[in-house]
Amino acid sequence: MSNNRKVKDVIVKTAADLFTPIALVLGFYIILHGHLSPGGGFQGGVLVASAVILIYLGYGYSEVSKRFNMEFIKKNEALGAILFTVFGLAGILYGSVFFTNVFVGIGNVGDLISSGTIMFMNDSVGYKVLTGVGFLILLMIGLLAPDNEN
Amino acid sequence: MKRFAIAFSLVVFLLMGSYAMYYSSTLDRTYSGTKLSEVLKPEQNYDLEKPDGVANIMIRENLKRTRAVNAVTAVVFDYRGYDTLGESFILLTAIAGSVVILKSNKKGSDTNVK
Repeated sequence: MSNNRKVKDVIVKTAADLFTPIALVLGFYIILHGHLSPGGGFQGGVLVASAVILIYLGYGYSEVSKRFNMEFIKKNEALGAILFTVFGLAGILYGSVFFTNVFVGIGNVGDLISSGTIMFMNDSVGYKVLTGVGFLILLMIGLLAPDNEN
Repeated sequence: MKRFAIAFSLVVFLLMGSYAMYYSSTLDRTYSGTKLSEVLKPEQNYDLEKPDGVANIMIRENLKRTRAVNAVTAVVFDYRGYDTLGESFILLTAIAGSVVILKSNKKGSDTNVK
């Protein structure tokens, strides 16, 4: 695939336009419903991060580097890891051991907000994976970009 | 002073760890208080119809303990939380390593990793 083209293929561009919102919505659905339906933080995070690849295929590296701030994404990945550890430490703060499931009682079984720290850990892992894998993809397609397209 | 602080904290961690090891050795071996010899039966006497031990807890008491409908997520984030912690930090370390390796190969960039 030639990277020097200014105008990408219409088919690829249309497919990217069509599938990017689907990938985003499905990924966020899988992250948020990780404790209710098959899936979880890791899988949904990778699905959301695949939107970066779709935008790159459709619009090239110049558009991607204009839209995404890599410093911001890198800091947010560390934030996701810190959040996950904090929800693990919540067990100690509640007077039990590390990674205990505290405040289990909230919500009914099957609700979106239920199952205690499992939901929060799931969401923070999803956030961490979507920023981390997105950052990795941005870093790698930054190497593919030719000099004149920066 | 700094060396003293490091040595002091290491000694405290060592003492606390030794006490935790001693205390956990005095506890019951299994979750419900049954003897370990009752759980680990000979293979021919093993009842395959009825799960026991951790499998029993995970299958039968999952909804009561965690209230998560998806049992796999309950296992990943509750019963085996340490595993998930290690996994996510492996991802963090891998990405940090790729930044270190790929940053030096970057061709004259502006807004990227510094």
